[in-house]
Amino acid sequence: MIRVPGAARILVVDDDPAIRRGLVAELQAAGYEAFEAADGKEGLAHFAADVPDLVLTDLAMPRSDGYELIAAIRKVAKTPIVVLSVRGGDADKVRALDLGADDYVPKPFSVRELLARVRAHLRRTLDDATPGPLKFPGLSIDRERRLVTVEGREVRLTPTEFSILEFLASRAGKPVTIAQIIGRVWHGAPGTTPDAVRVHVGSLRKKLEPDPARPRFILTEPWIGYRFVAEPL
Amino acid sequence: MGRRAADVALALGAVAATAAFGQAVGTNATTAGFLFLIAVLGVAVARGLVAGTVASLAAALAFNFFFLPPIGTFTIADPSNWVALSAFLVASTVTSRLVARARQRAADADARRAEIEALYDLSIDLFAATNRVGAPGVAAGRALKTIGAKGGGLLLFREGPGHVEPVFDLAGNLDPADPLIESVGRQGETVEVPAADGARDVYLPLAVGGKASGVLVARGTRAEKNALESVGRLVALAVERERFLRERTHLDALRESDALKTSLLRAVSHDLRTPMTAIRMGLTRIRRSAGDSTAVDDVARETERLSRRIDNLLAMARLDAGTFVPRPEPSPAADLFRTALESLPLVLEGQEVKVSVSPDTPDLLVDPALAVEILANLVENAARVSPPREAVELRAEPDPLERKRVRLEVLDRGPGVPAALKRTGGGTREPGDSGRTGLGLEICRSLARALGGTITFVDRPGGGTIARLDFPTAEDGTNLR
Repeated sequence: MIRVPGAARILVVDDDPAIRRGLVAELQAAGYEAFEAADGKEGLAHFAADVPDLVLTDLAMPRSDGYELIAAIRKVAKTPIVVLSVRGGDADKVRALDLGADDYVPKPFSVRELLARVRAHLRRTLDDATPGPLKFPGLSIDRERRLVTVEGREVRLTPTEFSILEFLASRAGKPVTIAQIIGRVWHGAPGTTPDAVRVHVGSLRKKLEPDPARPRFILTEPWIGYRFVAEPL
Repeated sequence: MGRRAADVALALGAVAATAAFGQAVGTNATTAGFLFLIAVLGVAVARGLVAGTVASLAAALAFNFFFLPPIGTFTIADPSNWVALSAFLVASTVTSRLVARARQRAADADARRAEIEALYDLSIDLFAATNRVGAPGVAAGRALKTIGAKGGGLLLFREGPGHVEPVFDLAGNLDPADPLIESVGRQGETVEVPAADGARDVYLPLAVGGKASGVLVARGTRAEKNALESVGRLVALAVERERFLRERTHLDALRESDALKTSLLRAVSHDLRTPMTAIRMGLTRIRRSAGDSTAVDDVARETERLSRRIDNLLAMARLDAGTFVPRPEPSPAADLFRTALESLPLVLEGQEVKVSVSPDTPDLLVDPALAVEILANLVENAARVSPPREAVELRAEPDPLERKRVRLEVLDRGPGVPAALKRTGGGTREPGDSGRTGLGLEICRSLARALGGTITFVDRPGGGTIARLDFPTAEDGTNLR
């Protein structure tokens, strides 16, 4: 194994040896230090021993699956977890996200896309806890004064819209499930439906997006929820 | 007739014997009266009403002749003896009647018990012993035996009373064309036809819950109508049960094949995607070490296409197998476009794409995964036929022809709609036309249909093709743009 001093450490958990090998080679080529494990149990052991900066994990694995791994890691650490999921398994993705996974990449993924996600999540861990205003190209959110400006122009949001935007933007780049939004914005008030969330997000997007053909900030994640896509400044 | 004569003979004999016994012993008139009464009772108990009545009349005459003075004549001297004789006659007649009626009741009860026992045995036979498909024939055979039929059988209506199918024939002379069978099936009423020797031919409709499923024909039976109808109901239940058994077997088979399909699909999808992922990673590595290589680029692009085709086919197979039901949710057109374009990074390398979404476009109510699948296929096709430096365009707008629908268009400057597509309005594959009307477009058409949408191809003014999709909108005010 190539040891790169100071490089981010990434743990790869997948039961397929070809994918494991390929991922490790790609990650090393991109300058990361990579470890591999074949299932959740082994993954957890590596997690404790190697203390990685990010975890890439498959979900369906023999012996101990990805959900167990996510839940076990979340008990002890906030390390970003990116799930390698099979397309179409939306319930699987939502379950993984609600357990605390940060993102998912559908198989078969392109290496470029995967590396982009890895970079984004590694960057985010470094400057996650910064309080104060959230700034993106063309958009700034002043949390203290509850003020939102798009292209320097102030946009008036309802309190619910502001809470949703703040929550999504604070998790920029990560998919956010509808249940998570209901939990955070409505504090899980019973009777809050996904449709209510959609209506508020819809009007929020109308106020934020200058060009309906090219949404810049909030994207729909089919069946999951939303993803705030702008890169923080 | 013989039985009647025997009754009369026995009655007279019993009276004569009593008279002889009374004379021999030398009883008085009172004792003789009681002796005769006992004889009449005995005859009524043993032989029934007719014998009892004959015996009581004969006893009255013998009582008068042998024991009431003047003895040896049918005259009565003492008027009080008239009273005695009349009282005797009334008492003997009434008691013999009562006894006979009780006897008849007992006999009726016996007969009914036997009938119920026979029906019970039959029902046990039908429902406990014949737990298998094909049982109605066996049931009919046992039923006909129970009601003592000499012939007949079971006929079932497979698709209504017009289509008679003989299932069981007791004596080998059942005629399915017998017009009575069809009419009994239609009317649902039992029909009886007199046959030789006081027996009857009976046509019993077999109906559970209204519609007749067949007719049970019993020839030469003497059974009571009630018993016949009970038997008919039992056979009808047996027929119905067989139908349920047959359906259940069929459903079990279907369920098994569905489960098989689902697990096969899961396995195929995993087994195809895992190597696909490994191949793509391998290609990236080769690209990195080989530097710019058209051959590797081609392989990478084709691999991308292949994995999309696999996704297409799996989506189709899931729809077919019923393991996947489209889950429509409000989806903004721009999001669908963006996701579709992102899934084609290699195909669109160096290809300009213009996207326009009219501001009043409502959200689509579609299954986003399937809609993206369709759009990706259409964009891929458009990119392939586009001349260099010509943009592929994506447009979304409210359907100009129909409210509550959205129109999505993929436009290219290629050679225009192939003749095969124009003729069929869809994607029937024809030899030599594989570029445009291949698997991808066929899949698009099926997927669009599954989403409640349509897809049409029209020539674009100025050259090229417009692939036009229209889909329902999210109507309930959830306009997310």
